[in-house]
Amino acid sequence: MKQKIGVYICHCGGNISDYVDVDKVKDVLAKEDGVYVSKTTIFACADSNQKEMVADIKANELDAVVVASCSPKLHQITFQAVTERAGLNKYNYVHANIREQVSWPHSDNKIGATEKAIQIVRSSVAKVRLSQAIEPIEIDTQQAVLVLGAGIAGMKAAISLAKMGTQVYLAEREHFIGGRIAHWDVLCGTEETGKELVTRLYTDVIANKNITLYTGAEMVSSGGSKGNFNVQLKLKPRYVADVCDDKENIKKAIEVCPVEVPDEFNFGITKRKAIYHNFPSEYPQAAVINMDDCTRCGECEKVCDKIDLSQKEETVEVKVGSVLVATGFDSYTPGEGEFGYQAIDNVITLSQYKRLLAISNGELKWNGKKIENVAYIYCVGSRQVEGENKYCSRYCCTATINTALRSNDKFKNLNHFHFTRGMRTYGKQEVFYHEASKQGHVFFQSYGDDPTKVENKNGKTIVKINDILTNRKELEVEADLVVLVTGMVPRAHNTIGDILKIPKGRDKFYNEIHMKLRPVETVIDGVTIAGACQGPKNIVESINSALSASIKSYSFVSSDKLSVEPIVAKIDENLCQYCDACTTACPFDAISKVKSGSKDVALINHTVCKGCGMCLPVCPTNAIQLITFSDDEVENMINVLANEL
Amino acid sequence: MAKVDLKFGKKLKKFGAIDFNACYNCGTCTAVCALSDEKDSFPREMVRFSVTGLSEDVKGSLKPWLCYYCGECTTYCPQEAKPGELMMSLRRYATSRYDWTGLSGLLYKNLLAYIISFLLVIAGVIGAYLSDTFTTEEWFHYGHYFEMLAIVGVFLLILTPNIFRMWLYSVQSKKKGFKLKHYFSAFGELLVHMFTQKRTLKCDDDAKNKIWWFEHFILVFGYLALLFTTVVLDWFATEVPFIIYMGYVFSGIIFIVTFDFVIRRIRKRSEKSTFSHPSDWFFVIWLFLMGVSAFAVRLLVDTGLILDNFWVYLFHVIILVQWALIIVPFGKWTHFLYRSFAMYFDKVNKLNAA
Repeated sequence: MKQKIGVYICHCGGNISDYVDVDKVKDVLAKEDGVYVSKTTIFACADSNQKEMVADIKANELDAVVVASCSPKLHQITFQAVTERAGLNKYNYVHANIREQVSWPHSDNKIGATEKAIQIVRSSVAKVRLSQAIEPIEIDTQQAVLVLGAGIAGMKAAISLAKMGTQVYLAEREHFIGGRIAHWDVLCGTEETGKELVTRLYTDVIANKNITLYTGAEMVSSGGSKGNFNVQLKLKPRYVADVCDDKENIKKAIEVCPVEVPDEFNFGITKRKAIYHNFPSEYPQAAVINMDDCTRCGECEKVCDKIDLSQKEETVEVKVGSVLVATGFDSYTPGEGEFGYQAIDNVITLSQYKRLLAISNGELKWNGKKIENVAYIYCVGSRQVEGENKYCSRYCCTATINTALRSNDKFKNLNHFHFTRGMRTYGKQEVFYHEASKQGHVFFQSYGDDPTKVENKNGKTIVKINDILTNRKELEVEADLVVLVTGMVPRAHNTIGDILKIPKGRDKFYNEIHMKLRPVETVIDGVTIAGACQGPKNIVESINSALSASIKSYSFVSSDKLSVEPIVAKIDENLCQYCDACTTACPFDAISKVKSGSKDVALINHTVCKGCGMCLPVCPTNAIQLITFSDDEVENMINVLANEL
Repeated sequence: MAKVDLKFGKKLKKFGAIDFNACYNCGTCTAVCALSDEKDSFPREMVRFSVTGLSEDVKGSLKPWLCYYCGECTTYCPQEAKPGELMMSLRRYATSRYDWTGLSGLLYKNLLAYIISFLLVIAGVIGAYLSDTFTTEEWFHYGHYFEMLAIVGVFLLILTPNIFRMWLYSVQSKKKGFKLKHYFSAFGELLVHMFTQKRTLKCDDDAKNKIWWFEHFILVFGYLALLFTTVVLDWFATEVPFIIYMGYVFSGIIFIVTFDFVIRRIRKRSEKSTFSHPSDWFFVIWLFLMGVSAFAVRLLVDTGLILDNFWVYLFHVIILVQWALIIVPFGKWTHFLYRSFAMYFDKVNKLNAA
């Protein structure tokens, strides 16, 4: 029970005192039980007043403080800091809001406003009277980070973390690193190819002894929480010795393999064998056998002794303080017949087109026919009017223009027709749009509800648009190749999101806590997100978020101790009859069943508990109390508020 | 339904269009244009037709002629797509489409053809001189004869059918039926615009523009007056002092104003004189040479030196024939007719639509 409580009532320069009789509030509060000092102040938050308050608390040896002023969102932290500076514990401070809750909404009723203000401040005093000094919870942490996904974002984040001295586990689900970027030729605004960029990052990853790289690694389970995650990774074998200097024989092994399947690296426009590598300098530079395709005929083993079909799947466990998720995106797959996809044979996706340009030499041909007129259809799978993908995929306008511009470096006489929904080459990328226009690329624009049409007429592929830039005239182009500019969609394969329970936004991508202020953190403490798993991003934006997420993840593991907010739920083991109601109610999986002596009781993991209070009302024996919001404190407040003056 | 045609854009470049592909359809050009209004909105629409290759829409439109090249569209274009110069090249293109002989198009697109045709005229005139067919007297006589014949011939055989074709494309193809009364009530437009070019004054109100309009206005007046003086009043042969003085004044106006116009095109200080197609140079320079040579011929006649300096007359005849047989029917001269007929036809279209 606090006996020397200080109450400070703020005028807020008239914002409060114009409608609330602050002197009356002060006088009434002065008579409250335990109140030792009751004062008014013009601006409680002003620097000079803060100093006076510190001096006042010290001089009067106060043991608890209430400031009645604006919303706690604005200044609770300010006055908690004041009490701490005066030598008190910050949990002996209670904030009373008499501006947003009183003076502003009741400016028409000064008497009523004053009464309400008195009640609110009294109830705060009732709470602070029972307040106790509490200290933050400290936990031991693992000084290591798991980065999921070795695409450009994951690799960049891993390198950044490793340079800060943290142990990094970099896990890639595929057998080859580099993600999407590895596919691409010269990247927009640079003279570098995606492959070159990936090479640079890979070299850094391999050279850094703080980084352990796993390929073919899939996360299968995760336990623990911020500071202490235990993650199981399942490692798929390559069936080929890791360091394979026997290149000639590997080549032979690939030649003799009788299985041919569509090559995912070229998005199905070419075939590969069951034993393959994506391209000669792919990283790691070792071939792999895909066992889903392999018939186990054994032909490869006969020509190459580096092949070992007996390799087994293994599982490793890593202990980390934070998990950085950079799992990227899937490209939207158009539905059958969407803009002629799969219905007309010269309709392909932008990814396929980019690979076609990369692997073609001399003349650009599709199905043996020379290509001159290329029609690009934008916003396929993005900004859908009828579908669910309402968002813009951000990278595609620029990627398409870059591809079209670069294609002319390699192949002459290509004509480019862009069927857009409005160009979005934002920022510096505008110059590429300008360049393309100048070079004679033709841009059309349609509304979302009146889309471009792709038709097959007498063996010719016709693209039609009601062009809003030309008085909505119906214009048509006979295209040799139609390129569907497909947007980004969330990964369909989403076990990581399910295991870590990362919430998703309306767009089904992983969601950050706050779009602007906390853009790389998730509500799962210790789990950060980077790159396009969070939503469509171009390379620059992915790298920015990766660097930002690496710093955030680092903040969880930078020291061997981590302090967490002590406002958590607490179980009274004597009352608890473990019934699992709280475990079910907890949205953060913070409550588990443990043995205590001879009986089962609930145990709350304080590093996971957010103090939300969901478990409190469901407990049939009232065995749970929320620290700083105990039944006694809240009931005392209600008693004051429910009783008239 | 219209097919997109990239060849049209390439063709327009030969007619003098530049950089119009850079257009990103913001519409600034149309917004700043002092002559464009809701009913006749340009130049953006014309830029778009050019980019997408809708040549038939361009052919049937009078909008290229409603533009008087104030140049603000080009000044303010954020993409530097030079819409003003595109409109200029569309006028050249339209001219080539109206011309049934196809020679306009050939000459606009092909500088070499222009030069060859000029050389042929020079060879013809000098050949005639060297063949000794005509006496000096006869040269003067037949020179005058040629002028009259050329005017009638060019008008009947080339310009009248071409105006008819312009009418077919821009008026008749748009509206079924024919209301004579609209042609009567709109006729004033033709005369007003032919002789005043007053639409130029609607360009943004600055003094430089007014000076340009005035120069152009007196040039047209001087040109028509000199034509009348030489053809009807037979200036070179007349003894009437008043007519002689008039001829000096009118030819003087022509070469002074065209000299200034040539200087403007060299200095490139305004948008409209920044870009010069060969046909622009030929037009102003030949008009200048015509004024100067006519002035000189009459001066030599008056001073009695013409026989000793007969080459001056021959030079004048060469310029005259090149002018009358090449520049007038197939070159830039035609804008005198097409501009005023466009205003006339536009009015008729509006009356038809009302």
